[in-house]
Amino acid sequence: MNDILTVSGLNKSYGDFSLSDVTFSLPEGCITGFIGVNGAGKTTTLRTVLGLTGRLSGDIRFFGLDFDRHEREIKDRIGIVLDDGCFYDELTLMEMKSILSSAYTSWSEQDFKRYMDLFSLDPKQKIQTLSRGMRMKYALALALSHNAELLIMDEPTSGLDPLVRSQLLQILSEYMQNGGKAVFFSTHITSDLDKIADMLIMIDHGRIVFQEEKDALLDTYRIVKGDSRDLTAETRPLFLTVSETEFGFTGITKRISEVRDHIPDVIAGRPTIEDILLGNTGGAQ
Amino acid sequence: MVFALLKKDVLIVKKYVLVMLLFAVLIPPFMRWRVPEFTGTLGFILSVIFSVFMLLQYVSIKEYQYPRAAVLLCAAPFSRRAMVLSKYVFCMAAYAMCCMIYGIETLVIPGLGRPDMRLFAVMFCAISAAVGVYLPVQYKFGFDRAKYIFAGLIIFSPMCVPLLMRTVSPRLSLFLAAPRLFYSGIALLGAVFLAVSAFLSVKIYDKADLS
Repeated sequence: MNDILTVSGLNKSYGDFSLSDVTFSLPEGCITGFIGVNGAGKTTTLRTVLGLTGRLSGDIRFFGLDFDRHEREIKDRIGIVLDDGCFYDELTLMEMKSILSSAYTSWSEQDFKRYMDLFSLDPKQKIQTLSRGMRMKYALALALSHNAELLIMDEPTSGLDPLVRSQLLQILSEYMQNGGKAVFFSTHITSDLDKIADMLIMIDHGRIVFQEEKDALLDTYRIVKGDSRDLTAETRPLFLTVSETEFGFTGITKRISEVRDHIPDVIAGRPTIEDILLGNTGGAQ
Repeated sequence: MVFALLKKDVLIVKKYVLVMLLFAVLIPPFMRWRVPEFTGTLGFILSVIFSVFMLLQYVSIKEYQYPRAAVLLCAAPFSRRAMVLSKYVFCMAAYAMCCMIYGIETLVIPGLGRPDMRLFAVMFCAISAAVGVYLPVQYKFGFDRAKYIFAGLIIFSPMCVPLLMRTVSPRLSLFLAAPRLFYSGIALLGAVFLAVSAFLSVKIYDKADLS
């Protein structure tokens, strides 16, 4: 499987926040979820990768091409969905489309019409009259109408109702069926990724915590429940995070066999992505 | 690319384009009617100031109102260079529109005088200098801070203008009698202003963090 995007050694300083040695890659044919809590560096990473903000150092390659030298060609092959759309709200959908479409060499008017019909969007409607869900659908229609090979989305499901989120996930699955495509999807709503992601990358405090296939990742971690009296100086370090109540403890671990050796009667279960996210950010403590 | 972005600028201020077009059409005959002693030159100057600067202001206000739209455009294959250059093309297109309207009006409205290429050249240089200073300052400091900087300059201008007038007035007859080549030089100077300013604006915007 070829890598559609490779980021290595990305460093950026941004006021009191910094991205430190961010390195990851997106394989072709995968929906990759980019997870992290608010302020972890997801949006900054995406914007830096897209050249919207500068960087101190680092190498960014899309489709094997150096971003700095082939920026226009690369952007022509990427579909972008930014948080809340980023439109001129006083324009109509058709006007905004007429501006953006002229930037792409492979714009397909037919595809755009198909998506507009599919999403029941009226081209004469003003953008400011769209609901958040409709704005996201419109952004998706724009992003998918120029034969993009990579779809980059920044928090697309944030603030959307479950029905619209489900429709979005359906569209992404259909998009991937065409082959040779990839989706890079930043979110802190991890339940969406439970359904569709193939690969997960987690960022926290501007550092990549892991990049793993979702199923392998879910197999690596275990959520463990047991008696608080079993938590000793020896067993506690086996957990990433532990939360205790009067009924017992719940912990996230990557070392389930060692936990079982020390506490044979614990109950271990498969965690959700949210459990893993919280486990790696200390949020479950 | 630049023309697509020029179209974008026109679209985001489309409500005002018609109003400014109307100003450009009405100001010269209005001046002819109300202050005939200033017919021609002053009417043209006012129509240019209204149309070019007001339209540029409206575009800047809209960009300021929707700052994240520029993020989307730069995430698309529009280059930052094209984003900047389109602003200059927009101003010059507005100026060309004023020249054309005024030129037509001098042909159909008696008493407005004749289209004067000297006037067009001098005004081009003046507009280029003003736009050439305004846009890099705006790209550097943002619309809001640039607004205060220029408001300060406008407040202090009454102190400088009389001095400027005292310096220029005695030489005005010499200035008007200058050969055609002199005005070509003036127009060229305007073009140089624009080129240097556009270069600076592109450099500034290239380094801007869009978020």
